Amino acid sequence: MKPPKFDYHAPTTVDEAITLLSRYGDDAKLLAGGQSLMPLLNFRLARPAALIDLNRVEGLAGIREVDGQVRFGAMTRQRAIEFSPVVARRLPLLVEATKLVGHLPIRSRGTIGGSIAHADPAAEYPAVLAALDGEVVVRGPRGERVVKPADFFQTYLTTTLGRDEVLTEVRLPAMDGKAGWAFEEFSRRHGDFALVGIAAIVAGDGARCTMARLATAGAGPVPVRLRAAERILESQGLGDAAIEAAAARAAEIVEPDSDLHASAAYRKNLTRVLTERAVRRAVTRLGGR
Amino acid sequence: MISRSPSLIGARVTRVEDARLLTGRGRYVADLDAPGAVHVAFVRSPHAAAHVGRIDVTRALAEPGVVACLTAADLAPLARPIRAESRTRGYRATDLGALASGVVRHQGEAVAAVVAESRYVAEDAADLVGVDWEPLPAVTDPRAAAAAGPFVHADLGTNVILEREFRTGEVEPAFRAATLVVADRFRFHRHAAIAMENRACLAAWDTGRGDLTLHSTTQIPGMIRDALADILDLPGHRIRVVAPDVGGGFGMKTILYPEEVAVAAIARRLGRPVKWIGDRREDLLTSSQAWDEQVDAELAVDGVGHILGLRATVLCDVGAYSMYPWTASIEAVQVISFLPGPYRVPAYRGAVQAVATNKAPMGPYRGVGRPVSAFVVEGLLDRAARRLQLDPGEIRRRNFVRPDEAPYRSASGVVWDTATFAECLERACRIADYEGLRRQQQEARAAGRSFGIGIASYVELTGVGSAIPASPGADISTGTEGATVRVDASGTVTATFAIASQGQGHETTLAQVVAGTLGARLGDVRVVHGDTAAGPIGSGTYASRTAVIAGGAAVRAAEAVRDKALVIAAHLLEASASDLDVADGVISVRGAGDRRVTLREVARAAYAAGRRLPHGLEPGLEATRYYDPYFGTASGATHIAVVEIDRAVAAVRLHRYVIAEDCGRVINPLVVEGQTIGGLAQGVGAALLEEVVYDGGGQLLTGTLLDYLVPMATDMPPITVEHLDRPSPSTLGGFRGVGEGGTIGAPAAIANAVSDALAPLGIEITELPITPERLFQLLAVC
Ligand SMILES: Cc1cc2nc3c(=O)[nH]c(=O)nc-3n(C[C@H](O)[C@H](O)[C@H](O)COP(=O)(O)OP(=O)(O)OC[C@H]3O[C@@H](n4cnc5c(N)ncnc54)[C@H](O)[C@@H]3O)c2cc1C
Repeated sequence: MKPPKFDYHAPTTVDEAITLLSRYGDDAKLLAGGQSLMPLLNFRLARPAALIDLNRVEGLAGIREVDGQVRFGAMTRQRAIEFSPVVARRLPLLVEATKLVGHLPIRSRGTIGGSIAHADPAAEYPAVLAALDGEVVVRGPRGERVVKPADFFQTYLTTTLGRDEVLTEVRLPAMDGKAGWAFEEFSRRHGDFALVGIAAIVAGDGARCTMARLATAGAGPVPVRLRAAERILESQGLGDAAIEAAAARAAEIVEPDSDLHASAAYRKNLTRVLTERAVRRAVTRLGGR
Repeated sequence: MISRSPSLIGARVTRVEDARLLTGRGRYVADLDAPGAVHVAFVRSPHAAAHVGRIDVTRALAEPGVVACLTAADLAPLARPIRAESRTRGYRATDLGALASGVVRHQGEAVAAVVAESRYVAEDAADLVGVDWEPLPAVTDPRAAAAAGPFVHADLGTNVILEREFRTGEVEPAFRAATLVVADRFRFHRHAAIAMENRACLAAWDTGRGDLTLHSTTQIPGMIRDALADILDLPGHRIRVVAPDVGGGFGMKTILYPEEVAVAAIARRLGRPVKWIGDRREDLLTSSQAWDEQVDAELAVDGVGHILGLRATVLCDVGAYSMYPWTASIEAVQVISFLPGPYRVPAYRGAVQAVATNKAPMGPYRGVGRPVSAFVVEGLLDRAARRLQLDPGEIRRRNFVRPDEAPYRSASGVVWDTATFAECLERACRIADYEGLRRQQQEARAAGRSFGIGIASYVELTGVGSAIPASPGADISTGTEGATVRVDASGTVTATFAIASQGQGHETTLAQVVAGTLGARLGDVRVVHGDTAAGPIGSGTYASRTAVIAGGAAVRAAEAVRDKALVIAAHLLEASASDLDVADGVISVRGAGDRRVTLREVARAAYAAGRRLPHGLEPGLEATRYYDPYFGTASGATHIAVVEIDRAVAAVRLHRYVIAEDCGRVINPLVVEGQTIGGLAQGVGAALLEEVVYDGGGQLLTGTLLDYLVPMATDMPPITVEHLDRPSPSTLGGFRGVGEGGTIGAPAAIANAVSDALAPLGIEITELPITPERLFQLLAVC
């Protein structure tokens, strides 16, 4: 469990990182918190010729409020997000999701950019990005692009990020202060990746639902917006019957896989139950906290 | 006799070893420096079964920093294969080379050793070794493998490497006479030990002296030394085996592993120290594993729940090799030895087959077989109770061996020296407020919730002496241990043992026994262990034996030293030895406290001799004594688990846990609680989380701790542990073993609690661990 040999670079600017990426072609990896990459290296499942360490790049970490958005530098640690007053105020869903990411030491190193670029289908941040319909900012030799989640996540551990591109920023729209929210997940143990997780945001007044956002983690190769289920809530309101119908619909939409820990059927069941629980809990938070 | 410092035995003192172990100052094999040491990475088989063709090491040898690259052919002249013999009829031994030659029989088996200046270089070069593998069909289903080939060991002509049967009473008539027979097929899946410290060893060959020193993460330095003497063809006194600080063993480190032989042989060949620090992947692939039984069992009872008969057929998947010293019998035979539990079972038949497969070898693991037997028999009792509408506590009360029946010979022939089983149950029920829990359950059920209470009672044989070999038929001595207690001229005490510690706190508990018996201050006693070059002969720590056997030897040696100290003190004080008291390192004349000498003064006299010693008394103040408890002693407990099931997501939540246990005279309640709770955690793992999974081709699917799930602090419920503290009548000191009990009771108690919670749905747990997926499948058919 020792990594194979690799070159190591510690650029101080994003441009320098991009130049290095271009130089190695297909064969370099950006190093952020290392919480996913280092195990891959130690198992020799990844054998890049070079690691380009982003930890010394100036200005790549930080949380800013701009134009109704909260913008996170890619290297912002998950732990910083967990305790940010801005995030607590504007994106309480993200705080709840962050507490479910691994364990304290992992969040102390792990970054929001790393989590989203890594695109583990069971990770919480991609689900939150999808639920909030945020954006990621990506920079490469040809300049900058702003990408929506649906155009970013392709399949397991795969995104549309180019080999020579760096994810520089994650932008999430501030939540409506009157909306209710919840992140519900089921994992084998505290801190494990979710077997299934559901991010939910609802607005309205109990009977009426003016907006519903539902997204999954672990229920397929990429985070899925459960639009048909959202529409049920938006058209039928937030009563028991509507919530149950939306949850049942959610389970129909997802196409999870079977693995060692859970069959597809069990994951569908979890999708239904957790959608129901997430929406119910979100409803209890309606109208401002 | 004369009073000592008896209060030390039983005192809740904190562990002396924790100062170093909890502050990162422990010294494990990986921490040891050896000048000029080289590092090994093994080339391991990616296949479960394969012929090993040509091994090409030329590219590996060309890597800068590579010192050597060795295969079986290179080591064969230096080391014989490991072979675990047994006199058991029908047993078939398997040869296990330090490196595999010709055939590999499980994924991860090593075929070559790359030796380099660092582990990094060694791993890089190991990647460059070319091996011509010719994959063979993998044997993975033990039921099919018991019936027909292919054979894991072609020369044996069978995969069944052991069969054993116990039979007592008239079994068939008992079943015919029964009012009720309950039966089920139980499945207890494979388990890995997951010690915090992976296996590791460091061998140094002293070319000048022709001596070998092996530092190893082992529980059995004495047995390793003896075995290496044969395997390496070296005189025993030229081999020193040291177990330094060891981070957990749980039985998995009671085996002589091929890496230990390989590293020793390579050190001898190269004349340089050789270090191998196993990583987690190697550990999951190659360390011994546990359980893996399928048990078909039936229990016959009369109309009021008295057991009339029990019969069981056990199929145990023992993996690729029969490991030294325990053989493949260890896990398999224990299941049928302990199936009758703490109960009167007038008629019993238990049969077991141990079947070889292309998986990592089976070894002893905390509880050994008994977690499985408890799961089965406790599960059957609960089934019978449900059918007879009896409380599960009541059916146990009706069947426990009673205190007045002890010593009691169980249906499998094990002798229980005492029988405090009913008392354990009553205590556990009282602490748990059993009646209150049942009321809580009714309320929960009325509200549609699934709340369950599970009871498990068990008894185990601990501190097993020479009457019963710890592994049936194996050619090893496991019944004795020695202790050397020496008071030096400064008045401090060194107590040396051949046992080894993997974190159990022996440096504290054995010091309490020595200090308490000798009348010394606890801080004046230092315990040395785990080094075959120091102190008496013995085998090591396993099978809940150290407190009993090493503790008994400690009592004897400390008594001998104390008696001599009193003779010397009597001489110095001009008093009669029988008038003296000793406590806290001071010997005084009873009733005349100012007439006193310290242990230090006595020790000085003992070594200065001359006129300070009584005429004719041999100088010195030390003694070595051995102890053999002969039969061993019963250690038992009742566990009560309280669970709530979240049916919608198919999850079991442990709500509360109570243990009332009888480990005889408690040396240190803190240590007993630590052992019990640690054991319980491993039982929780077995019940809910931990499962080694191989696919049909023998590929390990749980090769990381992302997939092999051990319990964490957050998986543990609030726990209460109570001690009965009933000294054993059959061991010196009255101690019973307690290292394994927590693991024995927990899977059964948790399984019973889940079955109890889901009884309204007619669900019985037959398979462990109870994963969410399994529970989901059970609930789906309701
Ligand atoms: C025991 C354990 C439990 C965990 N549990 C969870 C969990 O429950 N939920 C969860 O979501 N995660 C979990 N994780 C993963 C953790 O959250 C990681 O921090 C995260 O997945 C990756 O972030 P990182 O900053 O560590 O990235 P790294 O490991 O450094 O990188 C991951 C990948 O992303 C690429 N990358 C990183 N930054 C950028 C960038 N700015 N631009 C382009 N590519 C980039 C890297 O090249 C690499 O391929 C767990 C990890 C561990 C070890």
